[in-house]
This record gives sequence, C-alpha cells and structure tokens, in this order.
Amino acid sequence: MSLQKDTHLIHMTNQIAANLGGGRDAETVAAATCHHLETFWARSMKHRLVATLECEDSELSPMARRAVTLLAERLAKRHAG
Amino acid sequence: MIQHFDPKQHAKQAEHSKDLGTPFPSQTVGTASVSLAIDGVTISVPEGTSVLRAAALADINIPKLCATDSLEPFGSCRLCAVQVEGRRGLPAACTTPVAEGMKVTTQNERLAKLRRNVMELYISDHPLDCLTCPANGDCELQDMAGSVGLREVRYGFTGENHLDAVKDESNPYFSFDSSKCILCSRCVRACDEVQGTFALTIDGRGFDSKVSAGQNNAFMDSDCVSCGACVQACPTATLMEKSVIDHGVPDRSVVTTCAYCGVGCSFEAQMKGDQLVRMVPYKGGDANHGHSCVKGRFAFGYATHPDRLTTPMIRDSIDQPWREVSWEEAIGFAASRLKAIQAEHGRESIGGITSSRCTNEETYLVQKLIRAAFGNNNTDTCARVCHSPTGYGLKTTLGESAGTQTFDSVMKADAIIVIGANPTDAHPVFGSLMRKRLRQGAKLIVADPRRIDLLKTPHLGEAQHLPLRPGTNVALVNALGHVVVTEGLEDKAFVAKRCDTDAYNRWREFIAEPRHSPEASEAITGVPAKAVRQAARTYASAGNGAIYYGLGVTEHSQGSTMVMGIANLALATGNIGREGVGVNPLRGQNNVQGSCDMGSFPHELPGYQHVADPIARGRFESVWGVTLDDEPGLRIPNMFDAAIEGTFKALYVQGEDIAQSDPNTQHVEAALTSLDCLIVQDIFLNETAKFAHVLLPGSSFLEKNGTFTNAERRINRVRKVTPPVAGKEDWEVTQDLANALGYPMHYTHPSEIMDEIAQLTPSFAGVSYAKLEERGSLQWPCNAEYPLGMPTMHEVDFPIGLGRFAITEYVATEERANRRFPLLLTTGRILSQYNVGAQTRRTDNQRWHDEDVLELHPSDAELRGVRDGDWLGITSRSGQTVLRARLSERMQPGVVYTTFHHPGSGANVITTDNSDWATNCPEYKVTAVQVEKVSQPSAWQQRFSTFDLIQRDHLANAHQEAP
Repeated sequence: MSLQKDTHLIHMTNQIAANLGGGRDAETVAAATCHHLETFWARSMKHRLVATLECEDSELSPMARRAVTLLAERLAKRHAG
Repeated sequence: MIQHFDPKQHAKQAEHSKDLGTPFPSQTVGTASVSLAIDGVTISVPEGTSVLRAAALADINIPKLCATDSLEPFGSCRLCAVQVEGRRGLPAACTTPVAEGMKVTTQNERLAKLRRNVMELYISDHPLDCLTCPANGDCELQDMAGSVGLREVRYGFTGENHLDAVKDESNPYFSFDSSKCILCSRCVRACDEVQGTFALTIDGRGFDSKVSAGQNNAFMDSDCVSCGACVQACPTATLMEKSVIDHGVPDRSVVTTCAYCGVGCSFEAQMKGDQLVRMVPYKGGDANHGHSCVKGRFAFGYATHPDRLTTPMIRDSIDQPWREVSWEEAIGFAASRLKAIQAEHGRESIGGITSSRCTNEETYLVQKLIRAAFGNNNTDTCARVCHSPTGYGLKTTLGESAGTQTFDSVMKADAIIVIGANPTDAHPVFGSLMRKRLRQGAKLIVADPRRIDLLKTPHLGEAQHLPLRPGTNVALVNALGHVVVTEGLEDKAFVAKRCDTDAYNRWREFIAEPRHSPEASEAITGVPAKAVRQAARTYASAGNGAIYYGLGVTEHSQGSTMVMGIANLALATGNIGREGVGVNPLRGQNNVQGSCDMGSFPHELPGYQHVADPIARGRFESVWGVTLDDEPGLRIPNMFDAAIEGTFKALYVQGEDIAQSDPNTQHVEAALTSLDCLIVQDIFLNETAKFAHVLLPGSSFLEKNGTFTNAERRINRVRKVTPPVAGKEDWEVTQDLANALGYPMHYTHPSEIMDEIAQLTPSFAGVSYAKLEERGSLQWPCNAEYPLGMPTMHEVDFPIGLGRFAITEYVATEERANRRFPLLLTTGRILSQYNVGAQTRRTDNQRWHDEDVLELHPSDAELRGVRDGDWLGITSRSGQTVLRARLSERMQPGVVYTTFHHPGSGANVITTDNSDWATNCPEYKVTAVQVEKVSQPSAWQQRFSTFDLIQRDHLANAHQEAP
C-alpha cells in the first residue's frame, strides 16, 4: 500500500513539473514545481515525497527530481532554522 | 399641482413591493427625465417609461390585467385606458410612453364606463366560483372587478362559453384550468420573454383561442421546463400551484435564498404558520429579478420528506444498527472518539469536509473547528471536485479567486463564449438571461463536446459550435490565443497599461509558435481550424466579449491550465474590467463561492490568506486564541489515500455526499470503510452516511439563518422560515462539537459569526447583517474602499497590480481511448435533478428524470448493435456499471455521456483517479470506456444494492428501538 502511495505522489509531482514546463529553463521549472509543492501539499506528503529521493530508480522525471531535491533542501533548512 | 413626488426616493422599495405594470424602460437613451402630470400629480420619470408605470410610481393605480412589470406591454385588455389632454381616444396606459408636459387623467366617468364594460365581457365567460377558487384573495381579475365597480353582467351566463374546459393536471406542480383563462397572454409572453423557451402559444382564433403548450400537448408532454414564469404571470387561477390548491393562499412571506445552484435566486418563502406553501421568485432579488427554475420554485418538498433525519444516532461499527441518542450523547461520543484517535494516531490523523451547500457561517465554523480544535489544516470542501482550478487559475492570472462580473453584465455582452457549461440545465435562471441577450443579437460561441440546448435558442443570429474532443480544452484555448496574437486582434493599449510586460512577452512568444495554430491543433481537438479562427475573430472584435465556463473546463487533468488560458484570452483582448465582458465561472452549488471564500481549502484561511503567511495567521491566532499550523493540510483525495494507508482515521463531513459525488467510488468506499470514526451531518441518510459511526441530523436551508455567496460574489441572506426538524441549526451542532472537544465557541446567532468573518477577512470587512438587511445583497470585496461592494472587478487594477499572463502548455491527459476502451465518457447535469439528487430525488422532479442513462451517438450504437433503451455495461479502467442506452445526436461519435444524480447508477464507479495537476480536482470529464449490451446489473451495483438494503434496515431498526 505504501509503495502505491509513493507511486501516486511521484506521479502527481511529474504532472506538476510537466505542466509548469512550457519552454522554460530547467532550473525555473524545478523552482516553480518546488514552490507549488511547498504551497499546496500537506506536510506528511512532502516528507513522504522527499523520502522517495533515496530510491534512485523511482519514476520521478529529471525535472521533478530536481524540484524534490530543492524541496528537501528547503525543508531541511526550515527544520534547522 | 397637488404634490411633488420624487420616484428615485421610493423607486427601489416600490418596485419590489408592487407590480408597476411595465418594466423599467430598456430602450432608454441616456438618462433623460420626462415630467408629466397624472391626475394633477407631477412626476418625473426616465424617458421611455409607460404612463402606467409612471402612475404606479406616483401611487396612482390604474386598473390593468394584461400588463405586468416583468413583461413588455401588450395592450390587449384595454382596462388601463386613460385620457390624455389634447389626444383623441382613450389610449392604453401600458403602451403609451410618457411625454414632456403630458397631462393624464386616469379616472372619470367615461373611463369608468369603458372599464366596467371590459370587465363585464370578461366575467360573462368566467366561472363565478370565487369562494371556492384557489386564487380567492389572490386574483387580479377579482381585484379588478372590485376596482371598476362591476355590479352586473348584462349578457347573462347561458351563452356559448368555455366554462367546461378540461383541466390539464399533467404537471406535478401546477394545474392549467383553461375555463378561468382570460387570454391576456401573460403566460405566453412570460415563457417567451422571461424564460426564453417559447413552449406556450395562443392556439386558434377568435372565440376558439386558447393557451396551448404547443400542438395541443399536455404541459408534461410539451417543451415546457416548469420554470413557473407562466404561473407567476397568470392573473387568475388558470395556472395555479397545486400546493396552493391543496393548502390555500399563504398568509405571510419571508425573503430567502435558494439552496440549489450557484445563481443564488432570491425567493419569497410564502407560508401558512410553519408550513411552506409556495416559493415565489422575489422581484427584488439582484441575481434573478423575479425569475426561477423548476428546482428552486417547486422542488422544496424534500424539506418535509419522511426520510429526513430527526434524531442523532451513533454506532460502534457500520455493521451494527443505529442507536438513537440525545444530542449530548451523540456529540460526546463523537468528541471522545476524535480525541482518542488523535491520542493514538497523532494530531494530523483526523480532518473534516465543509459543505458548499451550507451557509458561509457554517462553513467558516467547520474550518475553524478543524484548524483550532482539531489543531491541523485537514479541511477541504467539495469545491475541490468542481471549481478548485478556478481558484488557482484566476488567482494566478487576475489575482482573485472569483468571477469578474454580475449576471446582469451579460446584457451588455456582444459576443458570448460558453465553454464546458450548460447554463439552460445547470444554471437555468442565468441561462434565460443569456438567451434574452442572444435574442437581442449577441453572438454565441459554444465550445463543448455536446450540442447543448443553448445552441437551440430561438431567433439566435450567429451561433458557432466548436465540438471539441473531451480533454483537449487547452489545445483549443491556445489556438484561440494564437489567432488573437497572430492576426493582430489584441487590445495592445489594455495590455500595455494593465498587464505585466515580461509575462505578456513570454506568453506572446509561446502562443505565437506555429504548434499552437488552429491548423496544427485541429488534429488534437477535432475542431476545424476555420471554425476556431472565426470564433477568435468574433470574440476579439465584437466590442464586449464575455466568457462563461463551467465544470467542462475545470474537471480535467489540465483544469487549472485551462482557467489560465481563458484569463489569458480575456486579458489579451482587453475584455476585463467593465460591464459586458469578463471571465465568469458558473458555480455548480449554491455556496461554492462562499465555501472557498470561507477558508475551506487546506492551504488557505478565510479570504484566501495562505496558512504560511505569518501576518494573516497571526490575526487568526489572536482572535481564535490558539496557535495554528503553518503547513497546508490534506485535500479530499489525499485524505482518502491516507485513510486507505492507515494514517488518517477520522472524518467530520457536513452536508456533502462524497460516496456518491467523488470519482472512483470503489476507492472512496475503501477509504470510508478504513475510518475508525466517520461523523456525518446531513438531512438524509446519504450514501456517505451509510459508512458513518455518528449521524447528526442537519437543517435544511429553510430552517436556519445565514448567508450564501453566489457565482457573482453576491452575499445573500438565508432566513429561517421554520424551526429545524431536529432542533438545531447546523452551526449550533459544529459549535457543540467544538465545545465538547474543549475549544470554546459561544455564538448565539450567525450574525455574530459574520462579524468575526468581517473582522478577519479583508474582502468581507464591510459586511454585516445590518448592511445586508439595508442593501438586500452585497458583492465582495466589501470594505472601507468599497463599502457597498464591487459589482465589476478589476476596473482600475488587479489585486496583484498587473494582470499576469500564464504559459499554458497543452499536456494531454493520460486517460486516452484505445482498442480496449475506445469511447470517451463525459459527465454532466440535467435540469430537473441537482447534484447527487438527495434533494430533488425526494420531490416530483423525479417525473422528469428517474434514472441516469448513457447517451451515445447512433453510429456508435449501431456498431455495437445497441438500440434505444437497451441495458449497457460501461467499463473503464476503474470499474464497471450498467445504464440504459439513449441514442442521441447531441453526442459526437466516439463520445458518450451520463449524469450522476442517482446513487445506484454508479456513474462514479467508472470515473478515474486522474486529477488536475495543480489542485487535484478530479477529471470527471474524460474517462475511456467500452460499452456493450448486458442483461444484469454490474457486480458493484449488486453489492451496492445489498449494502443499501442493510443500511436502510439499520436505520429502520434504530427508529423501532426508540422509546
């Protein structure tokens, strides 16, 4: 069940990154995706999503992976601060 | 001169309380005022006003029968004849416009004789059963006979007459008694002018003339849509509500707001004691101006239906019968369960869902309960599954999560685009207004997979239909934008002055790419490039271009992108910030706008203030006396996922039926079954309640005070006309639950809740019950800057300063047709039923739609050997259900359609988990399916039927155990 949920979160993240694309450069898209996740997703979902980074072969698209990495950094910073 | 009368001072009040005979002059050029003397009273009125109306404004009441102020003057009854100095004859006051210096006499011997003669002729062919007539005491014919002093009928009553005419009782809500008809044509004109259906006509000539619902049809077999406009217009008992025939004429009335769609019509609830006799559309209602539809006007019987829940109930598990308990025990049980679950599974393991059908005050209170007493932000509303993309898309581009116009604005539109909306069925009163404007010559463009009824508007000049494939909205709107940009149809001055230049330049470059041209996107959308180009030109060059859209825009994997695409189009063409233009979401339920405004979403406090904003959050924390979570909570679909996973254990649902309305029913059922505590507050045992552990009886809109906010941001009062059947208004129940959880709430009236909303929500700062009483309604923002509200938004600037164009990349949905699932299913609504049908299925509206059917094109049917009425198994990647087939050329080949008004239909068993990328609004509008003939209900339907029976039995047993 939990694996299924991870897959679902990854799918949603890929979808967000794809829709925020539209010809923009990779870093802008990743930042926009990260901002979207930070603004709209629940705490538990964010943590769960960040945890999927440990799985190298997850279905996260490269753009989405970059966004989740940014999110992880921001969450860590917040936790520390 | 006897006295001087200033109509401006009394106009509004007078207009609402009496019939002024003819409407406010629509053809007024400028604001020229004309002075005349009527019976020696000097009055100034706008140019174009009729003598009849001018007299009525001066409180001089000229007898009339065929005239009423909802209809254009007709001049047929001759009762309103007057004498005008210097003119020959006795002209009808209703068709005579005022003129400067005119001197009118409304009463003298000659006029009195003429009027008595007219009445004498009417009465010579009219039943003299006044004492037993249902209109006794509420009959204009009776009033006029009294007014003109009719004392005898010299012609006798034995001649040829219509007294034996047969009644048409076919309509469940009103009867048609032709013997009482005076052929004033008010019903026919109301059907034409107000409703725009043109169902009625005067059949025959001379003595044989009679009102007919078309080709001698009974009302039920005709095109009549039972809006009630004819009943409203009838001056006699010819068209009469059956409820008045049964119960007598009401003796008091209370103005309140309809609890059906997002138009938010004002009604007079006309009462006898505590009994609601009829609902009459209120002329002073700013959203509906005295018009109604079959739901609001007639379908109120559910409020007194025997299925109403009247006692709180609890049980430990859903396989047990219910136990009827006191309010205290039920609330105590719920609170202890919630506390125990949080103690074991953590603060975030519970949440709640506010209702888009409940009042603003109730919605506000539920989200406050969740944020302050539950201590988390796990609050959401059913707007999640309908208009959440509107919130996201409009806030991103225009800076405010709301439609930009009033409904009346459509009367100034020159070109109207309707995308993914079906106003004549889902927003009927606004649909009628739109049709009125179309009859005046506005151009219509409909982008919809189906050929909706609006395209059949009589006298429609130029109607364009863009029959796109489901799921390709964004490709279409990009193509429209491409034409605007590449053909030089932009309003460059508007863009330069009102929009962010960088964002605009990025969008312009993006949209001008050849891949967005209509020719390139034709293969995706299925809409011929030529038609797209014509539509873009029509919209951009019409003068005032207005866009109206519905769930056919939002309920897609790219719902939010499409909303932004629509806003881009309006910004690029300068169609924002004045009357006649704008971006207008048509909201499905009565208080979708309000439930969003009131902070139902997990990431936003009331007034769309993000929970992470420390300043906004701080204001709430100081008034609410708690520390609030600064992280968004779970959305409805996230709650379901978490429940199935085992981390989300309890849910409080007020006035929503997620088990029927949300997609992928089997997934929802699995989630509900996983909960340790489900608290449902509703007026009926709805589908969700069958999975509940605590059942708290709700109050209908007739049983409580509060406010609803309609699709034009209009805050309207809901007034209690009868006591709550279970003893408590919904806000009181939420308050009790908060207190039981240890979070104090001590409101004594919803007006106090509104005062708190005004204190904490900048856009509501100027709203109070006192001001609502005074003004009737208010359109937010209503604050120090706009103390009387704001009918048209963004006139000067946007809340974000400059309008922000958004890049709208088309990303095809993953839900695609293939060999296994070759058809695309799309879903929608019909006129007579409302949403999950919990209300309308418990009324005579069932007579029009007692089952959901699958509409499919004859060619798809032929391919599968399907005939009209066959049982069809509809299978998607999510599940299977069985519905009866209806062949329809409204569909395009390859697309099938159904509604979800009946729970056993299982329409949402087949819809999928796909959702909008930004908001998780489900993709109800695109499901790949296969259909085939079958002979029995689906496995899900069989399970549903068994479960339903068991749960009904549990409810029945609870009643039996009661002392």
